Amino acid sequence: MAETSLFHSIRIDKKKCIGCVACMKICPTRAIRIRNQKANIAYGKCIDCGECMRVCPQNAIVPITTSSADLNRFKYKVALPSPVLYFQFGHHIMPHEILSVLKEIGFNHVYDEALVCEMVGLAIEQYLDENKSPRPIISSTCPVVVRLIQRLFPTLCKNIVPIEPPREIAAKNLRDELSKEKNLLKEDIGIIHITPCAAKMVSINHPATMKKSFLDGAISIREIYNSIMMKIKKLGRPSILQTQNRISGIGIGWSIPGGEIRALKYHNCVSVSGLHDTIKILEDVESGKLKDIEYLECLICPDGCVGGPLTVENRFIAKSNALRLIRMYGGKKRVDSNFVKKLYNDKFFSFESSVQPKPFPPLDTDRTKAIKKLKFKEKIARKLSGKDCGLCGAPDCITFAEDVARGEAKLEDCIYIKIKRSKGEGKYEKKKT
Amino acid sequence: MQSKILLQQNFEIKGGDFINAGESSIKIRNILKDIGIDSDIIRRVAIVAYEAEMNVVMYARHGKMHLYVYSNKILLKIEDRGQGIKDIDLAMQPGYSTATEEMREMGFGAGMGLPNIKKNSDVFNINSTIREGTKLEIKINLNNKNG
Repeated sequence: MAETSLFHSIRIDKKKCIGCVACMKICPTRAIRIRNQKANIAYGKCIDCGECMRVCPQNAIVPITTSSADLNRFKYKVALPSPVLYFQFGHHIMPHEILSVLKEIGFNHVYDEALVCEMVGLAIEQYLDENKSPRPIISSTCPVVVRLIQRLFPTLCKNIVPIEPPREIAAKNLRDELSKEKNLLKEDIGIIHITPCAAKMVSINHPATMKKSFLDGAISIREIYNSIMMKIKKLGRPSILQTQNRISGIGIGWSIPGGEIRALKYHNCVSVSGLHDTIKILEDVESGKLKDIEYLECLICPDGCVGGPLTVENRFIAKSNALRLIRMYGGKKRVDSNFVKKLYNDKFFSFESSVQPKPFPPLDTDRTKAIKKLKFKEKIARKLSGKDCGLCGAPDCITFAEDVARGEAKLEDCIYIKIKRSKGEGKYEKKKT
Repeated sequence: MQSKILLQQNFEIKGGDFINAGESSIKIRNILKDIGIDSDIIRRVAIVAYEAEMNVVMYARHGKMHLYVYSNKILLKIEDRGQGIKDIDLAMQPGYSTATEEMREMGFGAGMGLPNIKKNSDVFNINSTIREGTKLEIKINLNNKNG
């Protein structure tokens, strides 16, 4: 398990970290341990959900996104914002204006993703039509959900819809179009996603379903917010882009929960958002409980991408802004379904390779030894207080027992065991009482 | 070749407890993940365990599930004290169900439980005595990679 921070979007600033247990407690894959008063991420277990970043009281957990130096490598810079960017500003500022401001602050070209969202929606419908099992089919949009499934629910890899999310499809299409139109070398074009979360960075650097992402980097909404705001203030009402006046209401809807399923003709679809609810529902799917559901949209952040950790506006206001724009642009289909069908048949939307299970390593690769360690883990777990205090440096007693069984922690690290031992309440005394 | 039991675990299942139903199968899944069983096998065991657990919850007062891990197979035994099955052949037919209206409203009792269990097992045995209970025995072979 030689995964390092290079593969991930989250880094701990050891100078700021005071070794409290906030991040360790919230981590859904129990990837964090406190060692020597500092939090450490076992990157082999990290799925880049960003929960630790949200709860850190010291702001010691830092997202890793594309730096401006990286950005300047490209001759021709293209901004591909997540529609969530549109919901960050007051309701008097329209998507077109935000797109044109992006051109003012250094991008050569901007592209609205919403139309592609609508196309991908049609492609998903086509896939559901042609493949009647397994069920439910699970959305591939949230990169954290894909990683969560690879890690914690490896048996569900087959359920992930093998269709790339809109940001990748948009970038794929753009690069082809721009290189022809503007006579540019493909490698001179830098397509940058403006993202509500750092996890997209991981899916760009280490995509799960292709050799190389079609995107070249990601900048967070937080990083770019101030420069957009300043420019808007300075320009008053910026000039409206004439070339892109077709914004899709259906596509914009993809940024809030239920967006992917709203336009599907299938009615038995479910949308879930938030980490713990997503885990809960995937457990049910793994049990075979939800086989009559056609499509399952899972989004790790609360309320989906509008609740991303790298956004600015609070998610309730952002959601209300989104709903207003959806109403304004309407639910009219703006994409020609025959055109999408043709692209679908040409495999334009398809994964290059399928999502591979990446389960956590078992207690031991040798099964007999693993079973021995499992029994040892259970024996230790029975000795522990079950208070899940976190003082040992593991998030809960069961995980601590597992660490001890794996040889990664010592039983004396548990404060209650230590106290018991110092009072002389060893095994023998306990039996007598 | 005779192989010995490497691991045995027992789980109690309470009849009529729909709230905690499914917990034993989650525990079994986690154990199998811990000891490095292939994910396709885990999926099959999980479905079998879940359906069997639900049958106990729906139709019995009390039940026990035993998990045995051998070097070459996984054995699940489920025994319950309950109403028993009148006609096993009928119960094995996909879609046949004796679930009450209430159970169906909760999304259970689609008549796919036993057929699903059979579909996912390599060896499937069922014995039932009316008004006493039902016994299931399911074997799932391990494709032996590491003993």
